[in-house]
Amino acid sequence: MGDTVVEPAPLKPTSEPTPGPSGNNGGSLLSVITEGVGELSVIDPEVAQKACQEVLEKVKLLHGGVAISSRGTPLELVNGDGVDSEIRCLDDPPSQIREEEDEMGATVASGTAKGARRRRQNNSAKQSWLLRLFESKLFDISMAISYLYNSKEPGVQAYIGNRLFCFRNEDVDFYLPQLLNMYIHMDEDVGDAIKPYIVHRCRQSINFSLQCALLLGAYSSDMHISTQRHSRGTKLRKLILSDELKPAHRKRELPSLSPAPDTGLSPSKRTHQRSKSDATASISLSSNLKRTASNPKVENEDEELSSSTESIDISFSSPVRLAPEREFIKSLMAIGKRLATLPTKEQKTQRLISELSLLNHKLPARVWLPTAGFDHHVVRVPHTQAVVLNSKDKAPYLIYVEVLECENFDTTNVPARIPENRIRSTRSVENLPECGITHEQRAGSFSTVPNYDNDDEAWSVDDIGELQVELPEVHTNSCDNISQFSVDSITSQESKEPVFIAAGDIRRRLSEQLAHTPTAFKRDPEDPSAVALKEPWQEKVRRIREGSPYGHLPNWRLLSVIVKCGDDLRQELLAFQVLKQLQSIWEQERVPLWIKPYKILVISADSGMIEPVVNAVSIHQVKKQSQLSLLDYFLQEHGSYTTEAFLSAQRNFVQSCAGYCLVCYLLQVKDRHNGNILLDAEGHIIHIDFGFILSSSPRNLGFETSAFKLTTEFVDLSPLLPGDGRPGWRHVQLLQDADAAGADCCPETHG
Amino acid sequence: MAQVEKRGGLLRKSSAYKKPLKEKVVLMYDEIFMTEDPSKCSPRFWEELFLMKVNLEYLEGKLESLDGEELMKIKDNINCLFQHCIQALGEEHPIRVVNALQTLCALIRGVHQKNKSTSGFDIINMLMGFDKAELCMKNLMESLDSLLCAEGSESLKSLCLKLLLCLVTVTDNISQNTILEYVMINSIFEAILQILSHPPSRREHGYDAVVLLALLVNYRKYESVNPYIVKLSIVDDEATLNGMGLVIAQALSEYNRQYKDKEEEHQGGFFSALTNMVGSMFIADAHEKISVQTNEAILLALYEAVHLNRNFITVLAQSHPEMGLVTTPVSPAPATPATPLGTTPPSSDVISSVELPLDADVQTSNLLITFLKYSSIVMQDTKDEHRLHSGKLCLIILTCIAEDQYANAFLHDDNMNFRVNLHRMPMRHRKKAADKNLPCRPLVCAVLDLMVEFIVTHMMKEFPMDLYVRCIQVVHKLLCYQKKCRVRLHYTWRELWSALINLLKFLMSNETVLLAKHNIFTLALMIVNLFNMFITYGDTFLPTPSSYDELYYEIIRMHQSFDNLYSMVLRLSTNAGQWKEAASKVTHALVNIRAIINHFNPKIESYAAVNHISQLSEEQVLEVVRANYDTLTLKLQDGLDQYERYSEQHKEAAFFKELVRSISTNVRRNLAFHTLSQEVLLKEFSTIS
Repeated sequence: MGDTVVEPAPLKPTSEPTPGPSGNNGGSLLSVITEGVGELSVIDPEVAQKACQEVLEKVKLLHGGVAISSRGTPLELVNGDGVDSEIRCLDDPPSQIREEEDEMGATVASGTAKGARRRRQNNSAKQSWLLRLFESKLFDISMAISYLYNSKEPGVQAYIGNRLFCFRNEDVDFYLPQLLNMYIHMDEDVGDAIKPYIVHRCRQSINFSLQCALLLGAYSSDMHISTQRHSRGTKLRKLILSDELKPAHRKRELPSLSPAPDTGLSPSKRTHQRSKSDATASISLSSNLKRTASNPKVENEDEELSSSTESIDISFSSPVRLAPEREFIKSLMAIGKRLATLPTKEQKTQRLISELSLLNHKLPARVWLPTAGFDHHVVRVPHTQAVVLNSKDKAPYLIYVEVLECENFDTTNVPARIPENRIRSTRSVENLPECGITHEQRAGSFSTVPNYDNDDEAWSVDDIGELQVELPEVHTNSCDNISQFSVDSITSQESKEPVFIAAGDIRRRLSEQLAHTPTAFKRDPEDPSAVALKEPWQEKVRRIREGSPYGHLPNWRLLSVIVKCGDDLRQELLAFQVLKQLQSIWEQERVPLWIKPYKILVISADSGMIEPVVNAVSIHQVKKQSQLSLLDYFLQEHGSYTTEAFLSAQRNFVQSCAGYCLVCYLLQVKDRHNGNILLDAEGHIIHIDFGFILSSSPRNLGFETSAFKLTTEFVDLSPLLPGDGRPGWRHVQLLQDADAAGADCCPETHG
Repeated sequence: MAQVEKRGGLLRKSSAYKKPLKEKVVLMYDEIFMTEDPSKCSPRFWEELFLMKVNLEYLEGKLESLDGEELMKIKDNINCLFQHCIQALGEEHPIRVVNALQTLCALIRGVHQKNKSTSGFDIINMLMGFDKAELCMKNLMESLDSLLCAEGSESLKSLCLKLLLCLVTVTDNISQNTILEYVMINSIFEAILQILSHPPSRREHGYDAVVLLALLVNYRKYESVNPYIVKLSIVDDEATLNGMGLVIAQALSEYNRQYKDKEEEHQGGFFSALTNMVGSMFIADAHEKISVQTNEAILLALYEAVHLNRNFITVLAQSHPEMGLVTTPVSPAPATPATPLGTTPPSSDVISSVELPLDADVQTSNLLITFLKYSSIVMQDTKDEHRLHSGKLCLIILTCIAEDQYANAFLHDDNMNFRVNLHRMPMRHRKKAADKNLPCRPLVCAVLDLMVEFIVTHMMKEFPMDLYVRCIQVVHKLLCYQKKCRVRLHYTWRELWSALINLLKFLMSNETVLLAKHNIFTLALMIVNLFNMFITYGDTFLPTPSSYDELYYEIIRMHQSFDNLYSMVLRLSTNAGQWKEAASKVTHALVNIRAIINHFNPKIESYAAVNHISQLSEEQVLEVVRANYDTLTLKLQDGLDQYERYSEQHKEAAFFKELVRSISTNVRRNLAFHTLSQEVLLKEFSTIS
């Protein structure tokens, strides 16, 4: 029984599939660890090997090599068992948690510097195996989450809670849903262990605060457990939203702020934070632990700091820093709700555009898109670009959002508003004498737009007047450009000698130009999103940038987001995590499979945002618009069988198709109609909508006839085996991949 | 007590004269019309005067009844009254302010009616006296400004605007109204903007404010620097511009709604007329009745905004959020009891949720769509002068829009599709188009539709040459944009082509009649050049290769018209006559069209001969066309894609003078109608302590 303490520990960090009997497993384990060296170069392979052998021997010695394969309960410590005392003597109880341990008998958890130091002195022989695992470089966030979930020991939980501070923020962020779920749904001890970390992070990052608040709300919403627990998640959510966790300020950072005291900004802790996380990666184990152990103290320091600078705090930070963002999200959701009441796509689209144009009046603001990977402020929603997506009764919609990237969300000023059409001066003023208005007045009227005069791209009034001078900037092949140019330039001297042109040339140019434009989709009032999604992303960015008053700014970026209202995205979030995990496993194993996990932002139990897959349209749209089979469509888009473009598109297709077949098989993804499968410009397919996975299904049927979707059309598109006409090798590959991925991915996902 | 006694005394006095019982205020007016200073005998005379309910009719009538010399005698008293009015505007009690405002209205109007022939300076002298005029007007404008900007009673603000409108429209020709010079110096522009930018005050006074602004902008527009023009042109506050757009949109859509209601009323008559087969005359009659009084003032405001302020162009595409909500009448009716001024949310970076009224039936619209619908109604009938003016102004506004880069960008935006129900004149040979089946298209299609509609419906004896020229110019400007930006609009160009060819046909068949009045060659040249644009630059903006073929087909099909035109212009250009130069220009412009006709016609004939077909189908002709492009050479013509920019100053000044004159008269008449009724005001202020 007790041996479970040790058993799974060395297995975890290895990405080795089968947790077989430990005795037989030694060899493969070791080899795997050696393999992992590339990633964790700190560990000397030989040392690791030795350590593992020791572990295995110990296990054998104690329990006669009883194989335990259950991973589910690794920390089942039984009081009074021999193991207990064994461990007790191996490791001196850490002073800080002595009281706990007296009651519980848990000795493993120890996070104190003292304990660590002592352990070092005593060396490995006397160490707790679990602690050794925790201290080892292989202990990663996924293990931490799993132990946090499975451990019943408050000491272990507290240790892991402290240990969270050492992980890189991004790593922990990935498991935020699990963390918060545990915080809400598990007992007091787990909650207490997690809370300091969350509070700490909330203080650092506004984005984290928002995510926490949203997830806490979403996961608490449909709880059927006691109200006491219910209130724990809600309480934390309230705490976050009440803005008591606004960033604490450091005194030394204040001077830099003084130039802009009136903007209601909060000085950043970014530098501090970054150095800390960087340190975590490289710092040696013992000091790491020291740090973790003293973390509550760090917290205290922070609090002291914040209280000492409280007066400044008040003057610097806006009243409720999450309020603008929440309003922004709320208004996006409200738009979605209102759209759902309209009967036709056309009305929805028109309404969406007009609603967004109103929203534009409130921008720029201190709001951001949580799905983006960088700090930014939203400055404009190009409302005419927004489209309503296909859905029967709900109204998900896709919006593009112009943002300005910034160093730090909190400290950077919200960009000034630039009016919709940036104009240097107005028509009549140019014709008017200067009197009647003073210089100050004039300057005043433009004061809202800094750098106006530097903006070379601003439209001048005479744009159209100088028609023949300007060459059209829109895509033209060079030949046309030349001909157009010659036509134009000759025009001006035409009076001297007549110029003749061939009617055939005009007609030819017309048909050539139309042939050269990429196969754009036709506008369809019933499917307004098809055209918008088909347009290549780069081209769309360029086009929107040209039309945007903010487009000239160097830090201008375009983001897009799908706003879903009335859909529960929590499961999508889980699917995203699984896909991400699979992706990293495949990458690690160098399996050439391709999937595209897309980011999910859960806003509440029935709303959220999705990061759209760019350059992708659904297969349904492809077939409807092109009226071709997939193979023919590929030929049309990428060129004939032998071209490089076609072959790489075909390869992409196969790799992604295989990847998603696996995903569908593993997750039992249902509802795989063509509208839920996208095809991107490079040939990849991307499955979307993981609303029905595992046991849930659209029509109360727990199963679907096929394990995954692989239609003959898909098969037709795959390359054939040379000689043989059957594309058989793919199935083999699929099975191999399933083998590699299948067993490994499951335990990685919790909650 | 003292008052009662005084009143008694006055009554006795009047009874001694054996005259009918007079109001006290009338008696006080009478005192003013004496040569003596009324405050001499009763030192509190002025204070009391503004506590009395104003008798506008009497005061105005009295002023009118005096001739110039008599008026000069009591000049001091009138000056005194005027000054005290202005003083009273600063008073705390609103009743005094109201009375003072109304007295001012009556004074200004009364004096002007008397002095129709005399110059503005006399009037200033009469009202204020030369020496004090500047200070007087400064005080007046400042008081009005602060009243308009203060968070006071809405009715009071409304009255202020009425006074200003009264002041502005008191002469027929606004530029002769010398008092306005002081309004130029002491600008109330900011107050007007403030009214427009705050939704509650905009709802109450938006209409008056916009009309006032439009009129002020037209004061001595061409002679001097009008600060209102300068200021209007640089406004960039979006809330204000949107507010202005909303007011205009409301007024226009109100008109559209009224028209629609009337049309529906007449629908029964329509059908009976149709079943009776009486013919078009009857329909035209029935149609005549539908006409609703057009609103040129608001159209002028739209024009000034579009023409002067480029920022306003964005407002055109802005959707109206309040359209369904607002039920307040747009007509300049006296303000209803005021609602307390809502506090507007402070501008911060906090986003307040924007709510649009949730009404599935109301199609989202914008100012441009409303304007296009309005234009389609107004341009249906250009017979009477008002409508001709309105139609012309609509076309001028469209010209400005078609020249603007930003406006063109959203007109041609493929993502902004709208269904615009243009009104189409019922005509014998065509059915009323089913509105429901209209496709959703970029807005420029609606503009083109409107132009095509105009072209085909106005070929009449009273040929509106000017409007036709503007209409063709609008189309040309749109094409220039499309050519420049390579916008391939999916539009049924064929409709435009055949409309243009029909217009040419009409010009030629009515040559003699039309030539007596107009230079038809300018129009013919423009039409031919539109075709040249399609022929030489079609590759840059036509949607498909087959549309280029269709263009040739259309030209070949209608070659008779072009042939006739050619022989006509040739005839006139060889004769030494009035039209020699104009006609020869058309001859040159026709060169490509003639080349096409001469090139393809023999080919088609031989094709018919070879295949033994008497009548070729469209498909067969197109086949011939496609096969024979390569042997056709065209001549490149100069400056097809260039146009003269719209300029008001030189060409349109007379039109706008006339227009503003008629608007002034109209506004003045409307002001007189609802004469600043005091009932509401009294009710409102009686409750105020």
